[in-house]
Amino acid sequence: MSELTTGSFSIDDLENVQITINNIVGAIEKEAESSDVEMGPTVKPGVSSLRDWDHNVLDRYNAVYTPMCDQCCYCTFGPCDLSGNKEGACGIDLAGHNAREFMLRVITGAAAHSGHGRHLLHHLIGLYGKDHPLDVGATNIIAPNVQLVTGVQPKTLGDLDDVLSYVEEQITQLLAAVHMGQEGAAIDFESKALHGGMIDHVGMEISDIAQISCLEFPKADEEPPLADIGMGCIDSSKPTLIVIGHNVAAITDIIDYMDEKGLNETMELGGLCCTALDMTRYKAEDRTAPQAKIVGTLAKELKTIRSGIPDVIVVDEQCIRADVLEEASRLMIPVITTNDKVMYGLKDRSNDDIEDIIEDLTTGKEKGALMFDYEKLGELAPRLTIMMSEIRKQKGIKALPEEGDLKAIADTCVHCGACEVACPDSLPISEAFTRLSEGDLTKFEWIHDKCIACGRCEYACPKDIDVVDVIEKCSQSLISEEVGKVRAGRGPISDPEIREEGVNLVLGTTPGIVALVGCSNYPDGTKDLYTIADEMLRRNYIVVVSGCSAMDLGMYKNEDGLTLYEQYPSRFRSGGLMNTGSCVSNSHITGAVIKVAAIFAQKNISGNYEEIADYTLNRVGAVGVAWGAYSQKAASIGTGCNRLGVPVILGPHGSKYRRALISKPYEEDKWNVFDARDGSEMKIPAAPDYLLTTAETVEEMMPMLAKSCIRPSDNNMGRMIKLTHYIELTQKYLGVMPDDWHKFVRTETDLPLAKREDLLKILEAEHGWEIDWKRKKILSGPAMKSDVSAQPTNLKRLCKEA
Amino acid sequence: MVDVIKNTQMHCTYGCKTSKAVQPNVAGKMISKAKRPLLIVGSQVLKDEELLKRTIEIAKKADLPVAATGHSISGMVDSGVNAKYINVHSLATYLCDPNWKGLDGEGQYDTVIMLGHIKYYVNQVLSGLKSFSNLKTISIERFYIQNATMSFGNITPEVHVEALDELIENL
Ligand code: SF4
Ligand code: SF4
Ligand code: SF4
Repeated sequence: MSELTTGSFSIDDLENVQITINNIVGAIEKEAESSDVEMGPTVKPGVSSLRDWDHNVLDRYNAVYTPMCDQCCYCTFGPCDLSGNKEGACGIDLAGHNAREFMLRVITGAAAHSGHGRHLLHHLIGLYGKDHPLDVGATNIIAPNVQLVTGVQPKTLGDLDDVLSYVEEQITQLLAAVHMGQEGAAIDFESKALHGGMIDHVGMEISDIAQISCLEFPKADEEPPLADIGMGCIDSSKPTLIVIGHNVAAITDIIDYMDEKGLNETMELGGLCCTALDMTRYKAEDRTAPQAKIVGTLAKELKTIRSGIPDVIVVDEQCIRADVLEEASRLMIPVITTNDKVMYGLKDRSNDDIEDIIEDLTTGKEKGALMFDYEKLGELAPRLTIMMSEIRKQKGIKALPEEGDLKAIADTCVHCGACEVACPDSLPISEAFTRLSEGDLTKFEWIHDKCIACGRCEYACPKDIDVVDVIEKCSQSLISEEVGKVRAGRGPISDPEIREEGVNLVLGTTPGIVALVGCSNYPDGTKDLYTIADEMLRRNYIVVVSGCSAMDLGMYKNEDGLTLYEQYPSRFRSGGLMNTGSCVSNSHITGAVIKVAAIFAQKNISGNYEEIADYTLNRVGAVGVAWGAYSQKAASIGTGCNRLGVPVILGPHGSKYRRALISKPYEEDKWNVFDARDGSEMKIPAAPDYLLTTAETVEEMMPMLAKSCIRPSDNNMGRMIKLTHYIELTQKYLGVMPDDWHKFVRTETDLPLAKREDLLKILEAEHGWEIDWKRKKILSGPAMKSDVSAQPTNLKRLCKEA
Repeated sequence: MVDVIKNTQMHCTYGCKTSKAVQPNVAGKMISKAKRPLLIVGSQVLKDEELLKRTIEIAKKADLPVAATGHSISGMVDSGVNAKYINVHSLATYLCDPNWKGLDGEGQYDTVIMLGHIKYYVNQVLSGLKSFSNLKTISIERFYIQNATMSFGNITPEVHVEALDELIENL
């Protein structure tokens, strides 16, 4: 029996009997064992398999807790007062409790992605069968995260099914550890959180490669088509269907139906959040511009509904507001839910006749419907949209306040300031109302870009002013111009690209990879993202984006009216800007890092997690930025990057994740690695000096980005380039020299060429280094040796002498 | 005398321990009495000239070393204050470590004064200090900051400037 794998076979002697084997426990392990691929020591690691590596890393990058609440309310012993790091009735202290909560946040995010993956995979296997081959473009490593963690090299949808079972098992084991009265050590909760983050990237990868393989998405495409984006790109005179969420499974049927019936010119199909991005990838392999439009991010959800423009809303899962139904029904917009994670209390109409459902929704008898039959949905949603458009027009549905009413509304404001206390970004609403009373709309226009449309101001207002509506009404002309371009998600990075660029990355001559990911809880509006990408692209960093960040980046244009997507190539090279795709496409970013080790450095990656994470931390100058991170998913994505050795910077809102990983550069003994050639110890610079931290402003982050790309293995040219950017960015954005630049200098050739002489003078005068001025050589001073052929590692077992 | 302790409404609560509302004159005297104080200045001071002016005045009059977080240092270059850039999240981490030698190598601080920070960010950063250090933290922001040891209440920008003037008088 153990020889059998998935498939079917007939038994000769018995007629008409066919036995179908769907899954054999251990089949995949067998297959891994029998393949001639070399396996690393941690194939399908359990919760504790990588614990030593984690403890090693956490010894340098300490968990820093900033609890949101100093109580614990987990069980009936409590609530317990844990302030001052006291212990609760069960014995857990505040640090442990916070670590536990952080881990829970991470696995919630991982569950969101892999739950999405499971749903999608079921759906796609139903349509295409288990043997449907995986095809993600020009690569021999179809699934780098899957292979790295599990040793499996999946070839079909069915192979993904098996890996996903492993993912689900790990998430269950981690969740079990949250139960009170067991794990007590904060550091082990941290290790579990890292495990969850790693597992998340496997789950994300499964989701994305399944949909890329089946739905004609771009496959490692260097020139994916451009899609329209912005609240202004919807022609609101047409019937408008808006979809919200992350799981495009159901929406493809709508797109197909619209194509079939020639409805693409009759009505508008727009999306919010990642489903929108994935709609523009659907059937984009042929590079024709997508019909579907991207309205924007989560921050535009409430605004889009309140605008009254949608005639029907379809939601799937994840980043969708819990009040969509309530908000939409006020404006007679029917809502259709399509996923069992989000049902809004609606009746399941999956088995009902379409005409009956249409009758109930058009008459307003029901506010919405739950629909699991996607073929039916494909027809229902467009037809309903066209009908509702007419009905809503006839009824004269009024959405935002009239312009003439704005002054009267402004005059009801008593300037109590409650809204500003409630507003997550303390936006100056009271002042904007004062100006509005005088007929000046500009302050509200200014607020529009910064407002994330959470609606908290409205709940706080004692005068019941619909502040969000006022912001939107005042910004109508601005909103109509909100039109941009974004590249449809290209999917993974191809092997030829990695082969070409790997050497530059590892030696440091390409200064680094900056990955801009995450959601829309930005501290100071969306333009920050553009500012970061623009600056780093000009400096030849590789910029990779995904999800809501990829969308918002496309909203800004240069003097010639071009977005960054139109200015920079979508190639994995110095000065390239790539949109990998939706949230689950973040796995291609870690995937690219893994491929650098596999393809460029010829490392075995199968089940070899530690070694690859070690390689990344010491050699690949990559840094993640989640400037507007808001959800648990961002916590899991970032944590997965961390375990792989990629540091991540969050915007100030990211402090609300309540946990960071920050080192102490002054702890000198922590900044050593081994040289794999002989096991000797090497001093290394304190960069990156965090694995997860927050920055207050974009200006502060710019030099942090440059410093975070410095790695022990940089050669002299690479170190010089990286130091040049670090010094220049510090001077440009902070107005001073960085006070630690000299700590990264190993030899005179590490110094930026244009400033070499001046910097040598400073080294001599301020730091007491000895300089041979005739030869412009450093004689003594640096804490580190310069030896570019050294092989830095944190793993003693990889050393020759060990 | 300006009264800054009336409104201590919070946008969300951080649990059991809340900061004591403090008047400017008292805060001023406490800062003067601190043995090893540190003024931590955030990027928001750059958004308001009056605020930046007062910040520099406080640092000078009380002879306070300044930890300039965010990009606030760019407003203090050539102002004559003893300011150093540092990331506030890192700073708070070091402030919980008794072995840290401070920005000047002279040792750990006993009192920190917060001014010019993003409200939610500083509250978050201070929650670490509240739970994992013995430091005295005085917030002289224009919002009630629950996680400080002492804080002004929620006040308008105008009252804030008045309050800072009064604090300066009492240094
Ligand atoms: S889990 Fe522990 S700390 Fe939390 S409420 Fe129960 S006893 Fe208290
Ligand atoms: S809706 Fe906008 S203005 Fe209102 S509280 Fe949220 S972010 Fe602030
Ligand atoms: S809460 Fe309402 S009344 Fe008070 S300032 Fe804000 S908008 Fe005006």
